[in-house]
Order: sequence, then structure tokens, then C-alpha cells
Amino acid sequence: MKRALPVLILTVAGLVPLWRYEPSAGTAATAQPAAPAPAPSPTSSSGASSSSGDAPRTVQGTAVDTEKGTVQVEVVFEGDRIGSVRMLQQPNHPQTTAAVPTLIEETLQAQSADIDTVSGATITSEGYRESLQAALDAKGA
Amino acid sequence: MGFPVSLRIDDAGPPARVADAVDAVFAWLHETDARFSPFKADSEVSRLDRGELPADGISADLREVLDLCEHYRVATGGAFDVRLPGRGLDPCAVVKGWSVQRAAHLLTAAGLRRFCLNAGGDVVAAGGPWRVGVRHPDHADRLCTVLDLTDGAVATSARYERGDHIVDGRTGRPAAELLSVTVVAPTLTEADAVATAAFALGAEGVGWAAGRRGCEVFAVDAGRRVLRTPGFPGTGERPAAA
Repeated sequence: MKRALPVLILTVAGLVPLWRYEPSAGTAATAQPAAPAPAPSPTSSSGASSSSGDAPRTVQGTAVDTEKGTVQVEVVFEGDRIGSVRMLQQPNHPQTTAAVPTLIEETLQAQSADIDTVSGATITSEGYRESLQAALDAKGA
Repeated sequence: MGFPVSLRIDDAGPPARVADAVDAVFAWLHETDARFSPFKADSEVSRLDRGELPADGISADLREVLDLCEHYRVATGGAFDVRLPGRGLDPCAVVKGWSVQRAAHLLTAAGLRRFCLNAGGDVVAAGGPWRVGVRHPDHADRLCTVLDLTDGAVATSARYERGDHIVDGRTGRPAAELLSVTVVAPTLTEADAVATAAFALGAEGVGWAAGRRGCEVFAVDAGRRVLRTPGFPGTGERPAAA
């Protein structure tokens, strides 16, 4: 138990910023009068009994207004550890709804093809004379 | 700025109407250059930069351009910045895509449905499919990919034509982590700015651009590795013998 205590304190210390974390820096000052801040103090339970054997506890975080909308998370504690976190409320905003697609990695190919036009870095009028696009324009003229 | 513009119109409209629309496109592009070029001393951009115009005394068009610049600066955490320290205001990276997209609107407003407008390597297409090749970063006469574009825009940022001209505003140094970034988007305003901004961001710019709504990305990094989004439009392959 003596060895466990500093670990628990560290765990609690680690949780405090998590609870204080607000997803938007811009409007952190927004008041949230209605929300009942359940803000469970993990200290009470973890102080009493230590890690093992505790039934998972589900805690809802405070609903926080951000400039993109309201955000609220639910955290499931397994003993002193966070088992899972899920979003109870999240804004219907591109920054939160658009998942970044997985990128496909390929090797670079050099090909020729029958094309209508060419996209490339902005070319100057001098560069144009020797460009593929100039050849296409000449063909079409 | 000075870049070649190619316009192909495959429309069965009355020749006079087509000719008028083409004239309107080139007149608009010349007007844009005169008003927004930082290289012309009497342009609105130069006059604003010299403090000769009050902030509320600029045209609605320039206000729109500067608002777009600010949008991309914020979205990239400052990597994309048209007001770099020690340099004059240079909104070219936004002006180009924005003005060519508006030129395309002039064509659609004139009733044209099938055209392909290429401004120095940036493309707006309508009524496709058009086959758009992406220039290979190492070989000027080769392509690294080909895509079919029906209605939309393609822009590429790279340093093979004009050297290290894109600066990462966060460091003040030329962006060098990528060789080439191509972005397909619904408008050239978005495609061109996102391609430039992604290039300025470097390696992280690929994922950043991929996360923008409506954007598909094809990038070549300094190790000549291709990274692309799954939705990047390909073609029914028809490569000629290499």
C-alpha cells in the first residue's frame, strides 16, 4: 500500500488536467450554468480501495460550449484507470465530423498518356514554350 | 504574375457568343493582374501595402481575397502566410486560383457547358470527362498520374519550375519536405490555395489537405514516395508505351 500511494497520487494528478481540459481554446470562458458538473473526484474512490476489483464506474463530464458547438464526454473508469472515453455530445462541424482519410502509399511512376491538359507547378511564359501543355495546345490549334 | 493560359471550349454554341465569353475571360484575367499584382507599383495590393489605402477603403474583391488569405493562414497555423516578415504583401497564391475560378464562372454564365481552362498549370474543367495529367516532378515531359475530371478543379504546387518560392511562414524558410502536391477540389479557389498551403506545411500538409472537405490529394515527398487519398480520381487506364 505504501508503494501504491505515490502511484495513485500521480494518477490523480494526471487526471486533473484531463477534467480541466476544454476542447476549444477560443471560448474557454463561456459560462455553463445549466450543466451539473458531476466532476467525480477520483481521489475518493482510489484513496479508499486501490486498483483491483473495482467495478467499472461511468462518469459523465461537464458539457462544454465551444465555438464549434457543445462537447461532452463520458469516461469509464476501471479501478484507477480510464477504460474508455466516448463522446456524448459533439458538434456537427467539419473539424470534428470529417475523419482524416487514410493515405495510400505508392511508388512514383513516370508515364506518358493521352491527355487533354496538364496540371503542374505554375509555369512562366518562357517555361511554357517547352511544356507538355504547349504541345497539347499546338495539337488542338 | 505572367503565366500562360490555355482555354479549350468544346461547345456547340453560337461562335459569336463563344468569342465574347473568351474575350471576357482574358479581359478579367488582365484586370486581375493589374489590380492585384504585387509586382505592379500602381496595383491596389501595392498601394494597400504602402499604406496608401485605408483598411476600409479597399475593393470588395480585395477584401474577399484577403479574407481567404486569412482563412488559410489560420487553418495552417501560420504556415501559409501572405505577409511574411521582411517582405511585401503577396496574395498571389490565393489570387490566382480565385481569379481563374471566377473566369470559369464567366464561361458558365455565358451558357458554355464544356470547357477546360488551364492557367499556368492550374485547371478548371466543366462538362467532362477531361483527362488531366499531373506533371512528373523530375521529368518535364512525363506524367506521374492521370485523372478524369468532369466538373471541378486541379492545382499543383511544386518547386521544379520556380525553385524554392513557397515559404513556410512558421519558420520563414523555404518549404522543402515535399516535391509536389496536387489537389482536386470543387473550385480552383480551394484547390490552388490548399495545394500551396499543404506544400508550405510540408509532410504534415498531406494529411491536412486530405482532411479538407471536398479535397482529394496526390503528393510526392522528398523521398519520391507517393501519398494519395483513396478518393483521388484515377482514370480508366490508357497509358501509352513509356
